[in-house]
Parts: sequence; structure tokens; C-alpha cells
Amino acid sequence: MSGGPPKGLPSTGPHSLLDMPHPLAGSSSEEAVGGDSTPSPDLLMARSFGDKDLILPNGGTPAGTSSPASSSSLLNRLQLDDDIDGETRDLFVTVDDPKKHVCTMETYITYRITTKSTRVEFDLPEYSVRRRYQDFDWLRNKLEESQPTHLIPPLPEKFVVKGVVDRFSEEFVETRRKALDKFLKRITDHPVLSFNEHFNVFLTAKDLNAYKRQGMALLSRVGESVKHVTGGYKLRSRPLEFAAIGDYLDTFALKLGTIDRIAQRIIKEEIEYLVELREYGPVYSTWSALEGELAEPLEGVSACIGNCSTALEELTDDMTEDFLPVLREYILYSDSMKSVLKKRDQVQAEYEAKLEAVALRKEDRPKVPADVEKCQDRMECFNADLKADMERWQSNKRQDFRQLLMGMADKNIQYYEKCLMAWESIIPLLQEKPEAKLAPIWGNEETTWCLFTTTVIGGQPGSQPRISKRCPSSCVHCSIVHNSQDVEIT
Amino acid sequence: MEQAPPDLERQWQPAPLEPLGHTDAGLQAAVGEEAEGSRDEVPGDGTMTENNFGLKKIEISVSEAEKRTGRNAMNMQETYTAYLIETRSVEHTDGQSVLTDSLWRRYSEFELLRNYLLVYYPHIVVPPLPEKRAEFVWHKLSADNMDPDFVERRRIGLENFLLRVASHPILCRDKIFYLFLTQEGNWKETVNETGFQLKADSRLKALNATFRVKNPDKRFTELKHYSDELQSVISHLLRVRARVADRLYGVYKVHGNYGRVFSEWSAIEKEMGDGLQSAGHHMDVYASSIDDILEDEEHYADQLKEYLFYAEALRAVCRKHELMQYDLEMAAQDLASKKQQCEELATGTVRTFSLKGMTTKLFGQETPEQREARIKVLEEQINEGEQQLKSKNLEGREFKFGPMLRNALARCNPVK
Repeated sequence: MSGGPPKGLPSTGPHSLLDMPHPLAGSSSEEAVGGDSTPSPDLLMARSFGDKDLILPNGGTPAGTSSPASSSSLLNRLQLDDDIDGETRDLFVTVDDPKKHVCTMETYITYRITTKSTRVEFDLPEYSVRRRYQDFDWLRNKLEESQPTHLIPPLPEKFVVKGVVDRFSEEFVETRRKALDKFLKRITDHPVLSFNEHFNVFLTAKDLNAYKRQGMALLSRVGESVKHVTGGYKLRSRPLEFAAIGDYLDTFALKLGTIDRIAQRIIKEEIEYLVELREYGPVYSTWSALEGELAEPLEGVSACIGNCSTALEELTDDMTEDFLPVLREYILYSDSMKSVLKKRDQVQAEYEAKLEAVALRKEDRPKVPADVEKCQDRMECFNADLKADMERWQSNKRQDFRQLLMGMADKNIQYYEKCLMAWESIIPLLQEKPEAKLAPIWGNEETTWCLFTTTVIGGQPGSQPRISKRCPSSCVHCSIVHNSQDVEIT
Repeated sequence: MEQAPPDLERQWQPAPLEPLGHTDAGLQAAVGEEAEGSRDEVPGDGTMTENNFGLKKIEISVSEAEKRTGRNAMNMQETYTAYLIETRSVEHTDGQSVLTDSLWRRYSEFELLRNYLLVYYPHIVVPPLPEKRAEFVWHKLSADNMDPDFVERRRIGLENFLLRVASHPILCRDKIFYLFLTQEGNWKETVNETGFQLKADSRLKALNATFRVKNPDKRFTELKHYSDELQSVISHLLRVRARVADRLYGVYKVHGNYGRVFSEWSAIEKEMGDGLQSAGHHMDVYASSIDDILEDEEHYADQLKEYLFYAEALRAVCRKHELMQYDLEMAAQDLASKKQQCEELATGTVRTFSLKGMTTKLFGQETPEQREARIKVLEEQINEGEQQLKSKNLEGREFKFGPMLRNALARCNPVK
């Protein structure tokens, strides 16, 4: 709790919101409780907002206490971030077991969240709670508020057009569950976000609503301070690297959007193809009912087409459930990242404005005023956080898309393999020769001619009868060299 | 090459509608004779030549197609495709083939040949021609008769047609067919001179017979039903197949859109760039692979169409039989009534109501001379009628027991 001196790995349990000043509440007039407000995430030490006595591993003081942000502390930040890529996983979160709840006022789905952790922040090694989409939404908002310098992963779409999509269908719920699971896992993997207060509560609290209500009181104050900071400043120019990121995200989102549309179009075409296939197969069955010898092969063809249809249906289902949602998720991600970039711009703008104001005042101060320093700090922290997150995001993106595109290729390959298998399995049936299986013939009982050959069976000994390519290999006429007596005519 | 030995001359007559002049024997024997006749010409080791122009084996091929322009009947310029028919005779001894005839024919001439064969050999299921116009098309496939793929498939179909006619023991001996392969100029006139168009049965007559025939042969009825159902199911199949091809084409082509966007995306990526570029390329390859796939499938469709037309030809034979049966029944009926009339006149009893009876009552009986005269006329008519009936019966038998038809009927026994 606030005020308690940290010992190595200080602080356990959730902090009261009252003790947590808003990180951006940096202007002098809004000095919140708890002294210095700059958040200094620290992997090895539990983070505690506004904890003055936070000690960094290199012995330095938290950034922003006195002098301009020391480069060493920034370096620490980056170092710490690198460390998380090591194999030291100490937090595992899973989303599963969706259940429908029917109440008088509404019907909704909850998901079970299972947490396993050895971290000190967690009182118990294991937790299991139930949450609904609303709760996830709340969590995300809280994260955005409390960690504005970081990229918060996206949630699956909130609003679903009723009547078009069934909110309680198995496919929809499963798709959503996967997305929510992804969301929590991304937070879990993040070196800063995973230590977030709200995240912890979300994972552990029995009654989340009570906790939510606590926060409401503070909301207005917090909201205002945010507005205060992020309004009104115009950035002259984005630094090159952030401009590059912005451009990249623009193009990226655009291309993903196109891919999403193409994928949807493909699925639509495949479904229409499926409809025709489902009519095509049965016609062979109808035909088979008219025939004698051909009945079995025709029936076989019909069944084969049926199998191909089923395989295609599986393919389109997979694409809809696994491919499209990931594309959409990344589009949403890009959008939220662009807004973080804008916030960063705001912070920089504020700093530059204040700097200019000071310069214009032409006072003899040897020192830069404290509030300008704080602005600079804020800006540099923001930049650092953002750059680190971008790197992480790029790496995750590469992995996610690799998996996605390979999955798409694999599913398609499986589809073709299933079709191949279906067709190959009926080849023996088609080649089968019941005793009297003949190619179409002309003639009477004395002589018979295969329709495809231009010579009658019984060519001159030594000469090659000419057989057309179209004569089936099972044609008895052509395989018999001597005259017709051996050939049976039904 | 016209080295017809004398005894072949007789065989060059177009097979007439009347029986082959052996009224006492069924056609079975006649066919037997024919077959034996041909066997006699052949070396005694049992070799058979069905392409029996002379003693040599004949190879027929439709080897080329060419676009031509000319003037049509109304003196307007038109473009059409001509096909090169080459005939080779194969020497027995060394198996080498020598080009004996080659000429150009267009589709309409093939049609003329087939129509002629249909009229002169009504009891034979005449092999079908490839379709006149591209039907069962899906959107990409050109319905244009000048399209090279269409022309190529038509060439194959025409070749199959000629090979099948040449393989048929009866059709292959037809002189008009022989001239089709050997005489380029003037052939059309020769065909038309046979007057076959006049001999063709009218559709209306055939329809009438279908409804009015009293004792249709059960086997023919079954055959008719089978061919109807076959036609219907194959048409359905072809229609759905065309739609399936259309949709499949769409699926592949939309994948092509991935090509461009992956390429554009790869431009902004560092590590992922190469992979995405490659993926885009493969999407393009995938999208273009559908053209060959569907072109191959067209050959399958062509074979289905072949049997669709075969079913039609089969149906035509059944129709002809119904017509003949109907004629037979009419003739028999007519004969029966004449006989009765005759009897009545002879015995003087009037059993049925007739105009003669009425007039007799009204105007008095006729003189014995008059009666004699009328009896005589009737007796003549009865004789004629009996002859006719006999010949019709024979026709019917010839029809039924014609060589290939017997097999077709036998195969039509319900196996279900």
C-alpha cells in the first residue's frame, strides 16, 4: 500500500484507486496524491503507482524525480523489456467454457478465466473466475486509461447486428472466445500491461462489479485530467520514425482490408459452387437408377461428388472461423495503434509549446522550469514505451500472420487431398469388369466391332489393330485378337 | 479410287425402304448373305474388313480445320469452317498406309449425309454428329462457332462420326457415304437426286402414330422410355455441369486478386516481404490454372453430349417402328373391313350399317352383274391389301430383327 517502504519485491494485492494518480496528471496544479506520478514499470519489482521509494535494479532513481530523464533509466526500460523474451513465464491465462445465462432482464454469455501464476501480486497460485464481454470491455478501457503510452490489444467487435448474426450460435461464441483468449494472452505477454492493477483484479476478483463501482467515483476527475492534457496542442511535425510507423500502419490496415474483402468474396463463391455441387452429385444417382451395368459406377461417382462437397463445406467453415477474424482483429489493432500515435503527438506538442513559451519569456532562468522538464520526461517515456511496444507488435504480427497464412494453405491442401482421395477410391470401381462388360458395339451375333476401333477384332496375325485412345482399356473386343466366338453378348 | 470389282456394284445401291428383294426370307437371312458376301471377298484367314472399299482396310481421319469465306445461297458473304477428310488404305503386307483420297467438307455436308442415312436406314441407330451450336455453355466458354477450341472439339466429333459409320456393317457399304469420302464436287447434287427428302416421314405422322398405335411392341416401348429418360438425365447433368464449371471458374479467378494485394503488402514489410511476394505469385499461378482444367473437362462434356444425341437417334428408331406398326394396324384393319364387305356382298347379308346397304334399301337391289363387278373389285383390293400387309409385316420383322437393334433390345431387358 502506499507509504509502505518497498522491500525487494514490494506490494501485494490491488491498490486502492485513490492511491493511484493518473500518470498524465503531470501539470503542477493537478499533483495527485502520492507524490511523483511518473509510472516506472519495473519487471523485477512489482509496479506500484506513485511509489516514491521505488528502487531500480541499477540503483538509479525513478525517472523524473529530479533531473531530466536520464538516459540510463530509459535504457533500463528497454533492457527490461528485452528480458521478457526469455523463458521466464510466470503467468498463464486461459479463456474457455462459455455458458449461457438467462436472467429476467437479459441473456448473456460468460466465459471462464483460469489464471495460474507464481507472481507475488497474486495471493493464490490459481484462480478461476467468470467474466462476460462487458467485463473485457471495461478492462480494455481501464488499460487504455491507465497505460496510454502502450498499445492495448484489440477486442473482438462489440456490436453485432441482431438478426443477421446469432449471438448465441456455437460458431459465433467460439470465434469470440478465441479472440478474447488472444486478447488476454497478449496482455499476459506484455511486460508492463501484465502487471496492471486492473488486469490483476479482472483475473482474480470474485465480484468485479463492486470493484468497478469503486472506480466510478474517480472517473470524472481522471477523465478531466486526460482531457486537459490531450487537448489543444498542434504538433508541427512528427519525428521521422513515428511518421514511418504511422505510414506503415495506414498501408497495412488498407491491405488487410482488401484481403478481408477478397477472402469474403472467395468464401461466397465457394459456397455458391457448393450449392451447384450438391445438385450435381444426385443427378448421377438418378441416372444410375436407369442403368444396369453402369448403375454401380454411376452411384460411385455420385457418392464421390458428395464427399467433395462435404470437404468444401469444411474448408469454407474453417476460413470463416479462423481466417477472417484474425484479419479483422489486426485491422482493429492498427486503428487503436494509430490513436496512440496521435496521443503521443499530443504529448510532444505540449512539450514543444511549453518550451517555446519559456524561450519567449526570456527570463534569466538558468534552469528549465520543472513543469517543462516533466513534459519532456513524459514525452520521452511515451516515445520509449511506444517504440518498445512497436517492436513487440511487429514480432508478434510476423508470428501471427505466418501461422495464419500457413493455416490457410494447410486447410486448402487438406481440402484437395480429401477430394483426391475420394476420386482415387472410385477408380477401381470404374475399371471393374463384370463378365459381360463391353465397349459399345456394332454388329450381329456373328461379328462384333468395338466402336472405337477402326479394325474389327481379329486383325491379321502380326499386324497391329488400330485402337483409338478413347477405347476403354476394359474393352473386351480390342483385347481379343481372334474372332468373335469368345465374346459374349448380353 | 474407284476400282470397284463387278460384284461390288450391286452393293452400291442405297438400301431401299422395301425389303431387299427376298420376300420369302426375313432380312436376317439377307443380312447373313451380305455378311457372307463380304466374307467371301476376304482372305480365308478370318480377317474381316468392315471398311470394305475393295479388299483393303481403310483409315479415315479428319485431320485439319480451316476458316473459309464464300458466298451462300443468297449470295451473301459468309465465313465457315471446312474440315479436311483424309482416307488412307492400309496395305496388308507391310502395314504402311497410302493416302488415297483427301477432300474438304463443311459441317452442313456432314448433316446432309446423316439426314440421308436416317431416311434410308430407319432401323439403324445412326451415329450422332457433334452439336451444331455450342449448347450447355458456361459463361467463359465461347458460344462462337469460330472459336478455336470449339472447332477442335468439333473436328474430333466429326472424325468419330465417320469412324463409326465406317465401322457399321451396313452403313459402311452405302454408296453415298463412299462418295462423301471420295468425290468432292457434285456430291450434294448426287445426294439430293436420291430424293431422300421426299421419303422422310413427317413429324405429324409420327406423332399421330404414337398416340394411335394399339399394339406397340413392348420392347420398343421400353427402349423408347429408356431413351427418353436417358436424354432427360443427361441434359440435366450437362446443365448442372455447366453451372458447376462457371462457379469453379469464379472461385479460382477471385484468388487471383490476392496476387496483387500480397505484392503490394510485401513492399512495406521487411522480414515478411519475400514470403508475401512469393505467396502472391503462387496465387496468380493458381488462378490461371483453371483454364486448362476446364478445357479438359469440356471433352468429358462432349462425350456426354454424344450419348445425348445417340439417345435421340435411338428414339428416332423407336418412332419409326411405331409408325410402321401403326401402318400395319391400319392396313390390317382396312383389309379386315374389305373382307367383310366382300363377304356381305357375296352372301347378300348386310350385317353392318353401310351406305351401300342404305342405298340398296332406298333404290333397290343392284343387278347381279353389278354385284359381281363389285365383288371382283373388292377381291382385287383384298389381294393388294394382303400383299401390303405381308410386306409391312416383313418390314416390321426386318426392323425388329435387324442386327444391331436385336442387341439393343436384348440389352434393354429390365435388369433393375
